Amino acid sequence: MAAHSVRLKTLGAETLCGADQPVLDAFLRENVWLPHGCAQGTCGSCKLRVIEGEVDHGAAPEFTLTTDERAEGLALACQARPRSDLLVEPLADIADDGVVRHPLRDVVGTVAELTDIARGTRRLVIDLDEPIPFTAGQYVELTVPGTELRRQYSMANPPSETSRLELHVRHTPGGAATDGWIFAGMAVGDRVDVRGPLGVFGVGRPQDEPAILIAGGTGLAPMKSIVLAALAEGLVPEIWLYHGGRTEADLYDGDVFRELEGRHPDFHYRPCLSEQEWDGASGLVTDVVLADFTSCKGMSAYLCGPPAMVEAGAKVLKRRRMAPRLIFKEEFTDTSDLLSPSTAEEERT
Amino acid sequence: MTAVHETPAWIAEITMAELERNPYPFYERLRKECPVAFIPALGFHVATTKEACQEVGGNSDIWDGLISPAGGRTFGHPNVLNANGPEHDELRGMVEPSLQPAEVNRYVEDLVRPIARRYVEAIEDAGRADLVAEFCEPVSVRSLGDLMGLQSVGSDKLREWFHKLSVSFTNAGVLENGDWANPEGFRPGDEARAEIRAVLDPLIDKWIVEPDDSALSHWLHDGMPEGQVRDREQLYPTVFVFLLGAMQEPGHAMASTIAGLWTKPEQFERVVDDPKQIRRAITESMRWTSPIWSAVARTNKVDTTVAGTFLPAGSLVMLSYGSANHDENDYDAPSEYDLDRAPVPHLAFGAGKHACAGSYFASEVCRIGLEELFEAIPNLERDENKEIDFWGWGFRGPVELHAHWEV
Ligand SMILES: Cc1cc2nc3c(=O)[nH]c(=O)nc-3n(C[C@H](O)[C@H](O)[C@H](O)COP(=O)(O)OP(=O)(O)OC[C@H]3O[C@@H](n4cnc5c(N)ncnc54)[C@H](O)[C@@H]3O)c2cc1C
Ligand code: HEM
Ligand code: FES
Repeated sequence: MAAHSVRLKTLGAETLCGADQPVLDAFLRENVWLPHGCAQGTCGSCKLRVIEGEVDHGAAPEFTLTTDERAEGLALACQARPRSDLLVEPLADIADDGVVRHPLRDVVGTVAELTDIARGTRRLVIDLDEPIPFTAGQYVELTVPGTELRRQYSMANPPSETSRLELHVRHTPGGAATDGWIFAGMAVGDRVDVRGPLGVFGVGRPQDEPAILIAGGTGLAPMKSIVLAALAEGLVPEIWLYHGGRTEADLYDGDVFRELEGRHPDFHYRPCLSEQEWDGASGLVTDVVLADFTSCKGMSAYLCGPPAMVEAGAKVLKRRRMAPRLIFKEEFTDTSDLLSPSTAEEERT
Repeated sequence: MTAVHETPAWIAEITMAELERNPYPFYERLRKECPVAFIPALGFHVATTKEACQEVGGNSDIWDGLISPAGGRTFGHPNVLNANGPEHDELRGMVEPSLQPAEVNRYVEDLVRPIARRYVEAIEDAGRADLVAEFCEPVSVRSLGDLMGLQSVGSDKLREWFHKLSVSFTNAGVLENGDWANPEGFRPGDEARAEIRAVLDPLIDKWIVEPDDSALSHWLHDGMPEGQVRDREQLYPTVFVFLLGAMQEPGHAMASTIAGLWTKPEQFERVVDDPKQIRRAITESMRWTSPIWSAVARTNKVDTTVAGTFLPAGSLVMLSYGSANHDENDYDAPSEYDLDRAPVPHLAFGAGKHACAGSYFASEVCRIGLEELFEAIPNLERDENKEIDFWGWGFRGPVELHAHWEV
């Protein structure tokens, strides 16, 4: 396939990018880190300016990359394919932030475990033929067999384990990867195409601020990885982990976190139920956080799960005066968000 | 000169008070019907479109910098705004060194961030504030005051000075016979000038014998032969320019940025969440409500015609940059604040040889100020019970900006 040279203006790094390969993909494979989030065109964090050359915007949706922005010469690195040699510059800061990055790679793995762990939720463990080093909080993409479709799932295992991935998958009715595969025909022993690591969410280096972790549903996956890494390596001075569900049937891995809580005085586990009275915290996870903290000044937060919960969580933390630059978010967007973000938003709320 | 009787009634009847309350409707019509127009209430022409402002502001072969009569009455001569040729080069050379972007980068974080923090700390536990009086203006004057060497002058005093100078500077109204419509309007500026001299003279005496790194000390000494300093009478008019515009405008710009973002709550939230967007938010605010709305002018050395209006040599044309930045040819729905609009360059910092010398410094002061405000008070909200009134024709910004937040 024809390939074009793509160069980053400030960093000077250069890579060859296939005519049908997203620019982001080409650089990450060379272990040249570029800012990005979802790798599926919904978050906009991978925007770059095309200074010279021409791109095909691929499936970049209008709400992430407007017509005006295209006219200005902007593109989404995760969608844009080169039509000629390119000179580009990411909009976001590419300054070294001290986080160790790992190159993107394609690896084949074997399903080693597939268990129901909560209502509509499965633990999927994949033994990889070759390791995928990653940072706590990052995700991989699985290719739905027989299709070109790729879906994102966050690692729940700590980054010290690079050859065996633990994923938490929530069932989406009508969903291609979940309804049509992981909750349908998938079985232990199946071969799976895995691509990763991707994403900037997570704790990649020691930090001074205590952290509040808020997870909705399988948003717990990256949090588990973060908690295990942070406690093992002493990355965060103090951690509060909130996990929200409707009833006890939605919670999982509580024993793991309670055991960690027993061993680490600086780790606190707070499961919250919105539709069941019990001896734990009741109410929306975001309301519980609001009640638990009178001030969040000087603290940081990691939020992960359905977009509506992530947004509500960020609002609550700002009400408690947490600095927005210390609020990190990972939204589990799906195909329906891509099609029409506003209607999807309404359906969720 | 364009005779008054040729002037259409809607132009002949416009008053200073109307312009100061809201100049936009009048200027919108001027842009459409008469882009360079003689305004009897002012006694001079105004350039209102982007094209006309670019031509008059940017073409120094024909146009010299000139201050309006009220401005001249306020500052005196020679000031950087109305000096031209070698005299202007000399004054620009004097003020520019500390304002070059590379130089600003060297000091601006250490200068402005602690100031912004201090003023945020003063309000953050109160749960409410008028951001104009308690944050934007103090951060603006303290930053420039400390840069100039005026640490001994309180922020409230610096604010009082620019308010008073501003009243005089924009007291542009004239009667049909050319006399001032409101001579009393110059009294605040006269008072401020006298007080400024009383405070600055001893400081200048000290800097003459003990130079330091303050901007004003550099103005006295830089480029002068060994043992000599610039005559203070050469400095004062430009000192007044700084104590008015340069003190006032970053405050206006910060306040307008917040007010603009409040018209689009989704954009406000986006900027609070992502401080990297603050720069763009400030740029759009300068376009939306240009702080120096209509305060600088030019005069032509030869007869010329601009946008269909004949201007005999020696005409005074006021550059209404605030109007040019609403030019429908360049901006859709120009009266809307919109962070996402295509960033077509604006004229808020002027054009040509007299373009703002402090644009980078000013933008950095605004950026750091808003970064600190949004970081410490991310739950900042508009107080919906209080109106946001913009005021001014020469200089424009929100008069007050009431915010509240949960503490
Ligand atoms: C960065 C990131 C990390 C993620 N991590 C995790 C994780 O750790 N765990 C997890 O469970 N999930 C995670 N997700 C979500 C996950 O990637 C999938 O989006 C999710 O599993 C749904 O995939 P699916 O193929 O089953 O559904 P999809 O096929 O994507 O469908 C999603 C919804 O859209 C509807 N839909 C699809 N096509 C159409 C159409 N043409 N018209 C109308 N409606 C349509 C479907 O009916 C369904 O309701 C993550 C997402 C991102 C972006
Ligand atoms: C947001 C804030 C500011 C705005 C919007 C602004 C805007 C302007 C404008 C429109 C002019 C006239 C340009 C022209 O004649 O075409 C000007 C001139 C000038 N400004 Fe600014 N200004 C700001 C802040 C500052 C600051 C902070 C300083 C100094 C520290 C400064 C220094 C100057 C000087 C010295 C001139 C005169 C230039 C000349 O006539 O040669 N300005 N400014
Ligand atoms: S839009 Fe490209 S990474 Fe999210």
